[in-house]
Amino acid sequence: MTAPLLETRGVWQRFGGLIANSDVSISAGAGEIVGLIGPNGAGKSTLFNLIAGVLPPTQGTIWFNGEDVTRMPAAERCQRGIARTFQVVKSFETMTVIDNVIVGALIRTTVMREARRKALEVLEFCGLAGRADVLASQLIPSEKRRLEVARALATEPKLLLLDECLTGLTPMEAQSGVELVRKVRATGVTVLMVEHVMEIVMPLVDRAIVLNLGKVLVEGKPTEVVRHPEVISAYLGDRHAISA
Amino acid sequence: MDTTFAQRRRRDLILALILAVLAAIVPFFVKDVNVQNIMVLTLMWAALSQSWNILSGYCGQISLGHALYFGLGAYTTTLLFTKFGVLPWFGMLGGGVISALIALGLGYPTFRLRGHYFVIATIVIAEIGLLLFHNWDWAGAALGIDVPVRGDSWAKFQFTRSKLPYYYFALVFCCVAWLVTWYLENSKWGFWWRAVKDNPDAAESLGVVVFNSKMGAAAISAFMTAIGGAFYAQYVSYIDPDSVMTFQFSLLMALPAVLGGIGTLWGPVLGAVILIPLTELTRNYLGGSGRGVDLILYGAVIVLISLARPEGLIGLFSRKPASKGVPQ
Amino acid sequence: MTAATIIQSLASGLLMGLLYGLIAVGLALIFGLMDVTNFAHGEFLMLAMYGAFFLFAFFAVDPLLAAPLVAAGMFVFGAAIYLLIVRFAMRAKANIGMVQIFTTFGLAILMRGLAQFFFTPDYRSIPTSWLGGKTVSLGGIFLPVPQLVGALISVAAFGALFFFIKKTDFGRALEATREDAGAVALVGIDKNKVFALGWGLGSALVGLAGAVMASFFYIYPDVGASFALIAYVTVALGGFGSVFGAFAGGIIVGLVEASTALILPPSLKSVGIYAVYLLVVFIRPRGLFGSI
Repeated sequence: MTAPLLETRGVWQRFGGLIANSDVSISAGAGEIVGLIGPNGAGKSTLFNLIAGVLPPTQGTIWFNGEDVTRMPAAERCQRGIARTFQVVKSFETMTVIDNVIVGALIRTTVMREARRKALEVLEFCGLAGRADVLASQLIPSEKRRLEVARALATEPKLLLLDECLTGLTPMEAQSGVELVRKVRATGVTVLMVEHVMEIVMPLVDRAIVLNLGKVLVEGKPTEVVRHPEVISAYLGDRHAISA
Repeated sequence: MDTTFAQRRRRDLILALILAVLAAIVPFFVKDVNVQNIMVLTLMWAALSQSWNILSGYCGQISLGHALYFGLGAYTTTLLFTKFGVLPWFGMLGGGVISALIALGLGYPTFRLRGHYFVIATIVIAEIGLLLFHNWDWAGAALGIDVPVRGDSWAKFQFTRSKLPYYYFALVFCCVAWLVTWYLENSKWGFWWRAVKDNPDAAESLGVVVFNSKMGAAAISAFMTAIGGAFYAQYVSYIDPDSVMTFQFSLLMALPAVLGGIGTLWGPVLGAVILIPLTELTRNYLGGSGRGVDLILYGAVIVLISLARPEGLIGLFSRKPASKGVPQ
Repeated sequence: MTAATIIQSLASGLLMGLLYGLIAVGLALIFGLMDVTNFAHGEFLMLAMYGAFFLFAFFAVDPLLAAPLVAAGMFVFGAAIYLLIVRFAMRAKANIGMVQIFTTFGLAILMRGLAQFFFTPDYRSIPTSWLGGKTVSLGGIFLPVPQLVGALISVAAFGALFFFIKKTDFGRALEATREDAGAVALVGIDKNKVFALGWGLGSALVGLAGAVMASFFYIYPDVGASFALIAYVTVALGGFGSVFGAFAGGIIVGLVEASTALILPPSLKSVGIYAVYLLVVFIRPRGLFGSI
């Protein structure tokens, strides 16, 4: 078996006395859709940010495509082929939709004509071509989510990190989001998606990794994972906490 | 869509060409020296504001300390000429290079600052520069330096009998500043800058090296500002710290862009064409600047524009649909 | 340079620093409350100084007596500026930071211009006042009475402010709004009212400082500019928004200024303050007492 595209080895992240991730080792193989799930405060977002390069882990290493990227800044990781979206969308509000995507495309080419062509192609792919010349600030929320994905895809990533990109959408919007993710994978891109709500991701992912209290709780096929007693109790505990 | 974009770029270029030709013809009909003076200043401030706009408008790093680079340009040229006999043309380039290097040196620590911390740092740094020049005896300290008259010539860039050579230089300066912006606007740098302005975190995640983008913008902006300073020194042929490096100059560089449209190609030109003649005329009409009418005008303009039309007057000519019907 | 001169300068620096704290605290208060930097803060000070001057010139009111009147007037002025101008700057759709900076900055330029127009650019001063020109000697250190009283007023004002924020309803509303403006709206506190009162209070404090300073500083339209820069430095040192950081920041600035004046020529004394600002924000980009 070849080495996975992405691998974290014994990653720890401490914020002062708080341990957000402890000894997390996960991996994502080429062409896989991996779901990173878990109740609130499980350390999903922290792990996500460590992989994206927002901050380096306190301990442990992160490997991408056979290279140690543990201390590599986010921009350089993007160059290597890791792209991400943001949970709270961060569009370039004063720029048009296509200009937003061109920013991403410019990492692979400096020829403007080429970047523009690439951007249009990606917008087409994401179903935003009709909104290309609209200011990003004028998009509706679900379109903004798509723009996040489009911008990330324009960087021609090997690994796409999706941060709760399906949360908070209407069921119909979420469904077309799911289809978009499947389409992305069909082009050979590995997808690692963080989601809080299990129902959305379980039918979509090949493999699910459940985090709880900063540790990997269970890992496996979605059908197995949802039946796992520890997962059920972690989530039920979480629900109890919410209703309390 | 691709073609409309290319068409728009070409239309901008043609419009600029027409305006430049018109501006080149105007002096044949306008012989009044005072009016010519206003025309020279308008072009100069348009170019300076265009330079400021690169760092503050496109890249979003609001500098209220550009007087430093303006003053450095003026001082470098003048000192090289008076102390070593170096022709102003070389002094001008030297001033540009020195300013760009200083901008890079200052950018290294300041670009980590955000928002008002950055703005205040730019003011404070320019203030330190001003105080140092006030106390630097070799550079004339507070008394300043006279540029000695050596007769009219393009080599020495001195003209005592006519303002027209200065006018044409200012026109070329303005055109070059515009062209540089036009070129950069549709380049990797231009896109990176706007991304950095709108959201540095998102930019970083898309492979934009935020810090380098800011540094690039600062160097280009400072270089062009210093060219303006060198020109100004030649034009008024006398400089002292208060006449080239005070806060007033930082303000005047920002103003046309703010009025016309921050981070737009035509904003600084439009702003300067409205603002500079307006202030010069009110000043001439009301006599002296001591009564603060120019400040009242600037202040009122900034407040009104910021509140009513933060995208600047250029928004009135905008081809993009106005931000109406925004679904919330 | 003897030990006595050093102590003498540091003592004057301390007095000045307490005044700087008083000048700056209004800025810090407003910033902490709503994340807006008032770039016209120096012009508010200038206006207050003129207020004290005209009360003296026309009604022979001593600056010390004028101080509460000026503070009250500035309270109304500050609240009005918020309601008439700043409130609208907070509604910008895009580039809100830039809009806010340029709105208050434009206001500063406008006020300076109006002062030049109506008050003329002449330097004014209050030649005779109860305190003016007097000094006291404390253990061999000579302290000018106006500065001494100013420093005491500053300490008293900070004490009152502390009491006010901790003990009164409005103070608590202020604190709550700065913690979380959205949540405050839910419990029925009118955000605009709190902001307007915050602007009023911040302006009243700088008004107090202006009236005190009128008795020993020249008064002219540009006087605010240099003090404003010092106020920004003070507030930044204290960590933008921290009211008591401004107090500490003021003292630091006063002492740094006095020490610089001992070493460098007097015309360069501000360089020390500016250098300290740069040094601090370079090392701690959020100021000395700022969080993160």
